[in-house]
Order: sequence, then structure tokens, then C-alpha cells
Amino acid sequence: MSYYDIKPEKKFFEKELADYRDSIWGCARCNWCQNHWGWNVKSAEYSEVCPAFHEYRIFPYSGMGKMHIARALLEGDFDYEDAPEVVKFIYTCTTCGACEMNCQRLQDKEPLQVNETLRAQLVRDGVGPMPEHKALIKSVKNYDNPWMQPRTQRDRWAKKLPIKDANKDRAEVLFFVGCTSAFDNTLWHITQNTAHILLHAGVDIGILGKEELCCGSPVARIGDRDTFMSLAKRNIERLNDTGASEIVTFCPGCYRSLTHDYPQISNAPSLRAKVYHSSQYFDRLVAEKRLVFTNSEPLRATWHDPCHLGRHCGIYEEPRRLLRAMPGMELVEMERIKDQSWCCGGGGGVRTAFRDFAQKTAVKRIGEAKKTGASAIVTACPFCEQNLGEAIDKMSDGMKLYDLTQLMVRALGIG
Amino acid sequence: MSEMKKKVLQKKLPRPVYAALKNVVGEQWIYEQRSVVETYSKMSIEGASFLKKHEKDPHVLPACAVLPGSIDEVQAIVKICNRYAVPFIPFTNGQVFCNPTNQEPTLIIHLSRMNRVVSIDTQNMSATLEPYVDYAQLQAEAMKRGLWNGGTPLATTLCKLSSQFAFAGLWQTDLKYGLFNRNIVSVKMVLPDGDILETGSRCMPRAGDFWEYGPGPDLMGLQRSGLGTNGIVVEITVKLHAWTGGESFPELPAGRPSLVDVHDEKYDNPPEPLKNHKLLWAEFKDFESQLGAMREICHSGVAIGLNATGVYSAFYCSPTQDITIKRCKEHFFPDWNCYVILTNTTSDKQIAYEEQVIQQIVAEAGGTLLSSEHKPEVLEALRPWNYDCIRHVHGYRMNRKFYANAWLPVGPLDSALTVSREWKKALDMFGELDITDRGGADDTPFVYALQRGHFCLFETDNYPDPVLPDEIRRAMGFGIYGAAVVAKNNLGPQLMAFVNVEPFTSMFPEAGPNAHLFMRKIRKVFDPNSVAAPGRQVFTEEEWQQFPSDVKDAVNKMRELNGMAAVH
Repeated sequence: MSYYDIKPEKKFFEKELADYRDSIWGCARCNWCQNHWGWNVKSAEYSEVCPAFHEYRIFPYSGMGKMHIARALLEGDFDYEDAPEVVKFIYTCTTCGACEMNCQRLQDKEPLQVNETLRAQLVRDGVGPMPEHKALIKSVKNYDNPWMQPRTQRDRWAKKLPIKDANKDRAEVLFFVGCTSAFDNTLWHITQNTAHILLHAGVDIGILGKEELCCGSPVARIGDRDTFMSLAKRNIERLNDTGASEIVTFCPGCYRSLTHDYPQISNAPSLRAKVYHSSQYFDRLVAEKRLVFTNSEPLRATWHDPCHLGRHCGIYEEPRRLLRAMPGMELVEMERIKDQSWCCGGGGGVRTAFRDFAQKTAVKRIGEAKKTGASAIVTACPFCEQNLGEAIDKMSDGMKLYDLTQLMVRALGIG
Repeated sequence: MSEMKKKVLQKKLPRPVYAALKNVVGEQWIYEQRSVVETYSKMSIEGASFLKKHEKDPHVLPACAVLPGSIDEVQAIVKICNRYAVPFIPFTNGQVFCNPTNQEPTLIIHLSRMNRVVSIDTQNMSATLEPYVDYAQLQAEAMKRGLWNGGTPLATTLCKLSSQFAFAGLWQTDLKYGLFNRNIVSVKMVLPDGDILETGSRCMPRAGDFWEYGPGPDLMGLQRSGLGTNGIVVEITVKLHAWTGGESFPELPAGRPSLVDVHDEKYDNPPEPLKNHKLLWAEFKDFESQLGAMREICHSGVAIGLNATGVYSAFYCSPTQDITIKRCKEHFFPDWNCYVILTNTTSDKQIAYEEQVIQQIVAEAGGTLLSSEHKPEVLEALRPWNYDCIRHVHGYRMNRKFYANAWLPVGPLDSALTVSREWKKALDMFGELDITDRGGADDTPFVYALQRGHFCLFETDNYPDPVLPDEIRRAMGFGIYGAAVVAKNNLGPQLMAFVNVEPFTSMFPEAGPNAHLFMRKIRKVFDPNSVAAPGRQVFTEEEWQQFPSDVKDAVNKMRELNGMAAVH
């Protein structure tokens, strides 16, 4: 049974609001799109799961509210002139998918897909996305990345590293770096650590360097489907041309795009390589004893599930296994984890357009982490790292933030 | 969106009213944008609301929503409503009774900011809550202290306890603990004129919050199940009971699903019951023997829960609509069944003893317990209930249609036979809508044994397609016919005895032929300006006059059946 089983004859990126008509009319107002799954609630304080409803407290921000708005727009009960505020409601969503998770389990409906389809409609109708997103789209179109950086800067992080140029030399594994940690030098540690770890394990890796394209996730999530589909098709072609049999990426947004979004584009070729998130790949290398953690460093840490990695793609256990395998590591869990994880606040274009809300959501997560007694949060997503990192810096209360690879290189003794 | 369709736009509040409200809550907590009021305008479980949407009726749109953050703010808002004669509707999740019924610009008072567990009193075994606290929150906090509230509706995080006070309060464990309405110590309310009312012992100086009766006449009874007519619950104190299930629930062995594998079969394999709890399922050859066994179990004094789910299990225990329909058609779940919830509350051997009692009763009634020898595949499929009788884990997988209405009479167990017979007639008369509770099982109502079996609730539901107005109308026909059936057969009142809502107050002679007129007088005392939740529990003459003629006709037909004069 597929996540995209509404009108399966249509691929997701072709679907329109009308395709969800039954679903949006039938919203049962059960409100589980806002709340932590009943079984897993461990305290009154952390019993909600939708960051936007949690912050603003009114229904248009929730999955249920979006279903109601979608119904009214679809039936013409109001239009954008009557309700210009809908644009804000529809974009104040991190696309964390918690609403969809719970609704699928209970009512078999799709509030996140509906919201993403609403975004696509707003873009088509010329009223979306948010003004802050427009520069991002323009940048993707002009520079193949969302950060307005020249293509020539994309591989600066890799200087002096013995990595193959996959445009020229065939490598067994293509390391798909993604835009954010390729261009943001404060995140280069993730990129470089990932490369170091793969090389340490003897993996034959290559990168596309300046020729790598944005995976398209940022534009897909904010509703510019045309740009996304065009990028995706170019990407598939380019990635297939490398002849790599495996692709590794550490960015959950890229991972979701390559594994779940690309197959939802009509008339696009399939990716020939098998795609792994880096935590999956590292987990495999540890199991094969190609990576052995030897260095012990005492740390009580908690794992933050990035939404696009965990809830969207089901990768919950691999990073936890890696952490537990590190000598000296004590992994403690927060109350809201895995399918019920609380979003960092940075996804779905929210950090770009609604920075304050993104930061408040991060602060809430950090508070939850502190309650476990952990001194560090570990994650594996450049967007989570940016958003949680900014909040931690502002709070200045001793909590530390690590990318999974930072702890791995320490444990491997290759830092 | 190129096709021109008729717009539906709301009336706005007069500007002085808006300004006064804004002054109370601040600009951040008041909304009158069109898309906001849309989300406060459609119920989910009542056909009439859907029809109004299809008919583009603007009256279902409130004018504005405000979000008070404190009792003082609720009071101030209500006083403004009185000053300017603006109707208001208190609102939590809004699954039931949410949208306006009259033509006046109406204010929604959404209580979502008032969501704290105020205190848990382990000595007196009670918890005091703000109105937006739900069962999951309360249970999580109470369990840490070896307590729980005694029962949880299947929609754990949907149900706010204040809403259940205003509406009903049905649990899986009602056999022992009784309805939620019997588990309230006290409430603090903002009355429709803005005054504060406290009930129970908390209204006595320095007495504390431990007893549900105040010093003399107590107004709790007038407020309970009041649907907001006589005030807004702003704080509620509920009883707690002993809990033997541990401080928190374990991780489920199947692990956690993700969006890509949420419908994987492995997640339909929930665990065995919680430690110190056990669920037994029994199958019977016919409805009579099922009810006979249920009666004996009630009388035996064992178990904390006793219910019969009929074909509802097909909805509840199936991961998708396709499987639901298949199981309905194939009679996968026994037509005649019941389940019993056992606990070790008093001793470690309680479950073992009570299981023997149940086995004997079931055998004497000619029934069979589901087991590894008898229909193990059915028992396996029913596993979601193992935990869900305590707190929701797996179930509540409805179909993609919606819950338009139900027959919900109450009465002694034997009344279920009448309900079943009449339901079958109704299905033959109106035709089956998609899959109903008939579901191929012909005439199996859901049966809850309440309060040690002193009375029972029988539920038969309708699930029409929400995009098909004709189907919704047909479902509503079932509802009206059901009300007539209930009256004609002297069954307990529709919508449960504890929700005394017009037009039902005017149907049943037991409360007095003019009980509805008395209720109107009471409403006038509490709500002199008729601003509180208009058109809900008790109507004014003007509201009654605005009622659709078919509903009025149905009410009068029922009064006639009961030898009562028509109301006009």
C-alpha cells in the first residue's frame, strides 16, 4: 500500500486539489493532526506534534484547518481576494508530516499532501510562494542551488581531499553532497567528515563537484513543481551518466527527493543507482566491520530525528545503532521521537519565510532535549543543524549540538 | 479555479465589538479572516452541517474567533457579548456542535490556549484541569502517580474533558467506573452573563476540592451535559482511580511506522494486553444469547469493561478502507460478540479468578471464547483492542466516508433487541448507505454496558459519502426515523440520557410534557440576553421558529405518539 494511494493512476506531482476532494470533504476533525499519537504521550507538556498549531493555537495552522481551507477553495466558497491570509497559513508549515502520519493511521487521509498541493496551486495561480521564497526559486533556476552561490564554489569544501571527480572517473559510490552543506562553510564539517569516514572505510567515492545540481527539494516543498520536475529530470540523467551503483547523501531532503519524490514524476527515467542516507551506509559499514569505533569519549546525548529522514523515509534505527555502538556514548531518548518526533522548525521553507516561528519551534525541541538530562543533541540534517544551532547559540546554556559524523570521526579516531 | 462558483462570506462583528474584544485578548488572539472562520464552521459528524456546506449556507460561518488565555479573559469576553448582544459558542476541538445555527454574527471562543494540567491531588485522588486538556495528557500525568481517570474514550487526544462535561463521556471501562459525568468533582464556569460559578465542595470556604456536592442546592446538575448553554467550563476537577499498569506505556514491538510504510501489515500486529489487564472475546450464536451473557456478566460484578462492537470492529481493526469493506462483506468478525476487560486492581489473582467466571457464563449462554483453538485469525485481527480499551494505540481506522449520525438510545440490555429489529427495518426502508453498522451483519448494534449494567447504550451509525448531498439527506432520514422509533418503542432518549438536548427534551414525557418550557425559563435566568451557544440545548421561541419545518414535524409526530400536544 503506497503513501500516494489516492488516485494512484496519477503521480503525486501531477495531482491537483480536485484529486483529494473526497478526502478533504471527509476530514473528521479528530484533531490527531495536532496531537502526539495517544499511546506515546508521556507528559502533558509534550503532547502536541504540530509546531504551527502549537505556536498559533488556531485551526488554519493545523492539518485539519488546511483540509477545511482546501475544501472551501476547491468549491469556490472564497478566493484569494477574500482571504489573502491563506498564503501565510499554507506556508507556515514545516512539512514535517506529523499530521499526515497520524491521519494515515486513523482516517487514511492526506493533510500534508493536500497542503503541498495547495502550495502548488498558489504558485500556479501567482499568489504563492511567500516573497522570501522567490529569491530561492530564482537562485535554483539561475545557479542550480537555492543559496545564490556560483556553481564554481560548490566543491570548495573538497579541496585537498582524495575524492574522484565522478564527471570524469567512474566511482563505485557517488557522494551526493547537496547544496546547503556544500555552500555554507559553517556546515563543511558534515561534508568533510562524511567523505573522511567513507574514505577511511575504503569506499571508492566520487563527487560531481561543480556539476552537481540541487536535488529540487526546496522548490518542491514550496510548491514550484515545474522547477522541481525539470531539475529532477536533469539530475536523474546526470546521476545515471556517472555509472555509480550506489549514491550516498547525508542530507535528508536530498535523500527524500531521490528516493521518494523522483519516482512521483511522470515520464522521468528511473535512477539506476541505489540511494542510501549516510547513516544507513555507515551502519552497513559498521556491520561489515569496515568501520570500528575505538575511541571512547563519555557523552550523554539524545537523537533528534530529522523529519525528512525519520517520519518521511523511515530511517529511525540506523543512526541510533551507530550512536549506541560508540564507546562512552549514553543515548537517552526525548519524549517525542521517531514517527512522533517534534520538528526542528526549519523545514518546508519556514526558516526562510518565518524565522521567529522556526526558532521558537527549535527552542521547544531543545527544552525537550534538556529534560532528558542530555548534554548534547545529535542529528544528521544540515537544516536541523542550522535551525537548532542558531537557537542553541542564542540560549547559551551549555547544550551542545553535533552532527552524527562529528561523533563518528571522534569515535573512529580520524578527527 | 477558473470556474465561477457562488461565494460564501460571513457577516462581520460590529467594529466596536471587535475593538472591545481585541482590547481583551490582544491583536494576536483575535481573528476574523475568511479562511480562519472556515475552519470553525463545519462539524465532522453531523449530516446537516455537511448539507449546509453543499448548499452554501453562510449562516454556518462564525464572524470571528477569539482565544482567551485566562479565566479573566473569558469573563471579559462574555460580558462584551452580553453588552452588545453577540451570540458566542465555546469551542475546543469542534468535532460536535461547533458551527453557528442562527443568522446573527457569532463569536467563537476557542479555548486552545487554556491547556494546562493545573494540579494533581494524590491524597484526594483528583486532577484539576484547564478546559483544553485532553485524556492523553491527563492519563500521562496521572499514571506517573499510580492513578488514572478510570477510562479513556477511543479518541484519546481528541476528547477534552471539559467538552465531555458539556456533552457526554463514554468510555470502554464504563462498566466499573461509570460515565465521565459521574466522575466529576467540581467545575468552575463562566456563566452566560459573565459571572463565575463554582460547584461542589470547592465553593465552601477552605473546604477544598474533594466532594461533588456543595452546601445546599448545587448547580452541577444543571450544567452537566449543557452543551455550553448555561456557561463555559474554565476549570474542571475530575476523580482519579487506582492504576496498576505502570508509569508509562512500553514501546510497541512492531516499532514505529513512517509515511512510506504506515500501512505495512506489521503495524497491524499490536501487542498483548498491558500488564495487569486482559481482554476476552466471546462469540455467540445469536443476539439473544449474546445479551443474556452480557446481563449475567453485569450481575456477576466482575470486569471493568463490557461492550459488544458488532461490525464496528471491521472499521476499527482494519488498516485500510479496502480491508474494512472486505471484512464487512465476508462477516470476518462474529456478528454476535462481546468483549470483557479484566484487571488486577485488587490482587494479582483477580484476572485469573474473573476469567473463570466469564468462561462459565459464556459457556452457559452457548457462546465460545475466541482463542488459539477457536478462530485465532479473528482474535489476532482484534488485537488493536487489547490496549485501546485503556488508551488509544491502533484503532479508529474509519473508512473514508464520514459519520453522519447515529441512533443512540439507552435502556436496559433487552432494549437492544428492539433497536436491532427497528434498525433492520430502517435499513430495508431507506436502503443501506455504503457500509453501515449493518455491514452484512444485518442488525448488530454496538452495545455498551454502563454502570455495572444498570443501563446500556446501543449505537448504530451511518456513513454516507460526504460529497454526495443526496446520500447525506438519506442518512439524515435514518436519523429522524430513528428518533421516532425510539419514542414509539419507549426506548431511552436518543443521544444518551445525559444529553438533554432540544428537540429531544420535547419528545419524552418522562421529564414532564413541558420540560422544554421549564428549561427555557432556566435558560432565561442564566442567559438573560440569549447569547450563550444559541440553538443548542435549549431554544428560545425565536430559535425554535427558525427550525426547518421537517424537523418540527418530526418532533410533533413524536409528541403525538406519546400523547403530548404539538409544539408550535
